[in-house]
Amino acid sequence: MAAEGPEKTAEEGAGAGAGNGGTRYDLEKETELRFEVDAGEKVQLELLTGLAEIFGSELNRNKKYTFGPGSKVAVFTWQGCSVSLSGKTEVAYVSKDTPMLLYLNTHAALEQMRRQAERDNERGPRVMVAGPTDVGKSTVCRLLLSYAVRLGRRPTLVELDVGQSGVSVPGTMSALCIERPADVEEGYSVQAPLVYHFGSTSPGTNIKLYNKLTSCLADVFSQRCEVNRKASVGGCIINTCGWVKGSGYQALVHCASAFEVDVVLVLDQERLYNELKRDLPHFVRVVLLPKSGGVVERSKDCRREARDEKIREYFYGFRSASFFPHAFDVRFSDVRIYKIGAPSIPDSCLPLGMSQDDTQLKLVPVTPGRDLTHHVLSVSCADEGEEGSPVCGFIVVTNVDTQAQVMTVLSPAPRPLPRHTLLIMDIRFIDLK
Amino acid sequence: MADQNKTAEVKSSNELLSPSELFEARTRSHKIPVRGQKDFLPSGSDQQRERLQQSLQEHWKLVSEERVERLGNLVKAVWIPSDQRVELLSPAGKFWQTMGFSAHGKQCLHPEEALYLMECGNLQVFYKDLPLSIQEGYETFLCSKTMSIHHYKVFGHLKRLGYVVTRFDPSRVPSQYERQLNLAQSRERPGRRLKRKRSLSPPSGHTETQEGATAMGTEEERDGNREEEDMNPMPEDTNPKLKDTNPKPENIHPKPEDTNPDDTQMAAQDDPSTTAEGCRSWWSKGGSPHPDLPGQSQNTGSPRWDFTSISFPDLGSRHQHPRSLASPDPCLLPGAVGSVGPCDVVPWLNRLNLREVRMSRREQERERDRDRYHRDVNLDREVQRCRNWTEYRDLLERRSRRRHRDRPAHLWEGEVTPLHDPSQVCLTGELMDKISVVKSTQLFEGASSLKCSNEWRISFNIYQPDTVAEFKKSTPGKPYSRMCVCSFSGPVPDLQTLKVLAFQSGDVPVTYAVEDHGDISFYCFKNFQIPKDESF
Repeated sequence: MAAEGPEKTAEEGAGAGAGNGGTRYDLEKETELRFEVDAGEKVQLELLTGLAEIFGSELNRNKKYTFGPGSKVAVFTWQGCSVSLSGKTEVAYVSKDTPMLLYLNTHAALEQMRRQAERDNERGPRVMVAGPTDVGKSTVCRLLLSYAVRLGRRPTLVELDVGQSGVSVPGTMSALCIERPADVEEGYSVQAPLVYHFGSTSPGTNIKLYNKLTSCLADVFSQRCEVNRKASVGGCIINTCGWVKGSGYQALVHCASAFEVDVVLVLDQERLYNELKRDLPHFVRVVLLPKSGGVVERSKDCRREARDEKIREYFYGFRSASFFPHAFDVRFSDVRIYKIGAPSIPDSCLPLGMSQDDTQLKLVPVTPGRDLTHHVLSVSCADEGEEGSPVCGFIVVTNVDTQAQVMTVLSPAPRPLPRHTLLIMDIRFIDLK
Repeated sequence: MADQNKTAEVKSSNELLSPSELFEARTRSHKIPVRGQKDFLPSGSDQQRERLQQSLQEHWKLVSEERVERLGNLVKAVWIPSDQRVELLSPAGKFWQTMGFSAHGKQCLHPEEALYLMECGNLQVFYKDLPLSIQEGYETFLCSKTMSIHHYKVFGHLKRLGYVVTRFDPSRVPSQYERQLNLAQSRERPGRRLKRKRSLSPPSGHTETQEGATAMGTEEERDGNREEEDMNPMPEDTNPKLKDTNPKPENIHPKPEDTNPDDTQMAAQDDPSTTAEGCRSWWSKGGSPHPDLPGQSQNTGSPRWDFTSISFPDLGSRHQHPRSLASPDPCLLPGAVGSVGPCDVVPWLNRLNLREVRMSRREQERERDRDRYHRDVNLDREVQRCRNWTEYRDLLERRSRRRHRDRPAHLWEGEVTPLHDPSQVCLTGELMDKISVVKSTQLFEGASSLKCSNEWRISFNIYQPDTVAEFKKSTPGKPYSRMCVCSFSGPVPDLQTLKVLAFQSGDVPVTYAVEDHGDISFYCFKNFQIPKDESF
């Protein structure tokens, strides 16, 4: 953070400690307090005076918010406030230098579009947020969604980032209707999201399937817009993954076309901005926005942990406290396990007249075996081998008994499984805690 | 051989010749009449007919000539039709080293061997206690069960040239599995591998290398033979005789011109009705591709969103942008935010990421290729007219349809379409690859899975004349070549046959002997790489 130049670094209000053992920070107008929580630590945040928000969600005064290890938080205030932090932080400093005003202006423009849509009985803005990894795409999405919701809109979040999904477990692509600002601690309240199984954390493993599911989500969203006026006016905000080269870029263009986006927000990369301006028709507004100085690069490990945490959260609830998953045996004969996409084979080995593309969307039956252990399986809504169905839930295989032809699974609901078609993911989850 | 000669011979076989007759037979000219060159066409002239007559007469004279041999030199044998073989009654001569076989403790000859020996005057074959004349030998021994006349001609030709010729037995060729096992052996002893060079064409494909290696293995297994062969210092292809009989190496790459896509084109053009129709529809639609366009362009209007009034803080268009953003209308903001001041854009402009994106070389190349054919979609006037995605997508679809429609109907609407769409850009190398309908193939490629028809089979193993001294029938070793016999009037072996026979023969080259009324020519097929310009 050496680049942060003129800002006042931390501790400015330390002397005026609020008396509850924490460090007091007095924030000026349009500044933000950034802090990271150490591994294995917890930090409590309390708003003492004024108004403040975290990624667009307002803080309640005198309520203690707890942030777990690895959290990276920015408390922003438009008018000025004072907060107190207790617990061990890795870094904590106040920064004047935030692009929040730019983001707010972006929101204002989108809101203008929603008003116009409401007036003209049209559909609202569809926004795609693109950019390389670690520029704060998800944060910008969350910010814009929260502001929209706070004005009574019902925007939809389309999560296409298969590596770090904000909605469901990793390896999925999903859409979620946002009805209230994201919880300061827990994130979006996930109720009835539409989730599709992708199966891997990188779109590159099966770009055909990725594009197909994107189109699928776009179709479903359009259908919803036709029947739900509020959702139509609210529009959608699409979070993409940070792969912006080669096929990843093509996937972005495809997504823009599938969702018929009106606005593309490009974060930080001018090159991507220029490319998209060139390849998207003129009526699509491509906007270049800076990234926030508070954005931290996440390491590979960090991403993996975040993925693991997301899966754990699915089974055990937030902070492993609220849900109690079931473990039971499932006979192999009762389920059918598939993998989407046959492994690519040289063209010379394919039957005559068949191309590689045909195999990428195919359901390939998987013979249950020991190597299934710890894999995450999606329970597909599909009844009988039909394709393109969403997912109704996830299970994790904790043990495989090949002798008895039985596997033990961790499931959020008691037996029996609601459906019998399971799709295997490349992602594994080891239930340690 | 006329009938009277036969009876005379039967008689004479038990007869003793008088000294004068014997002298006459001995001093007879041994010159074989020269066949000379064939005339190209029957010209109908007297001269040609005379020459032909004379040649025929000489031939008949030679054939009908009485063969005089010493009774002691003749090996007696008896024809056993049930077994299709000739059993020797008296001890075999020198020919036993390279011919014949033992069965049930008796020395036997194959019919073709017996016939050849009869012609050489080494053998007298009895059937039903009567000696067979040479003509009778031809009639009895050469039948569908034993061997055709073509095969015998090739056999005799090679024998006369001094080659050792044995029947080919497929079961004695090591199977692929055995070859594979031997491959492992030969790998253990790499020193052996460099010892000899195969006359087989240089291995260019993977299969070939493998075959070559297996060949070494086979060779090593038969220890005795290898020594024999090693003693023979002569490189295999310096043999003059096989070479002289006009071997014509052919490459097995059929030329792509054979299948000419133009043919279909011509055929389609010949049919006037289809052409006219195709053209008309093409013109009527293509002439005014968008009848609705003029109207469309009038009501172009503006896209739904007027982005001049909806201002996004876009840092990309840095030159047109005001230095600071006006503060947004508070009614657009969430209540708690209240009113905010204007935003200064300038400091953010300097903070954008303008770094070059790190790309691998392949990505860079792809990028460059794309840039070459890729322009800003908005430079297109029709795209500029589109106001929303629906129109834009319609336009794209219309274009792709038109691109299909622009193509001449008589070429593209039929079942057979051209190999390449000229509107699609591709590299010259790719294009060359695309239009080569008949792909080049290696002789051994895919051969293992092919089934051979019964029509074609390998008939003989050939061993070189200079190995005769060391030749052992029990361990004949690796043949110099294997012979498949074709008739000049019969069909030409197809690629499948070539492949199957080559595979069956393994590391030994297969030679195709074509018999044309006594003239025999030899052909062999070799892998041949069509030269390719690597610069593509």
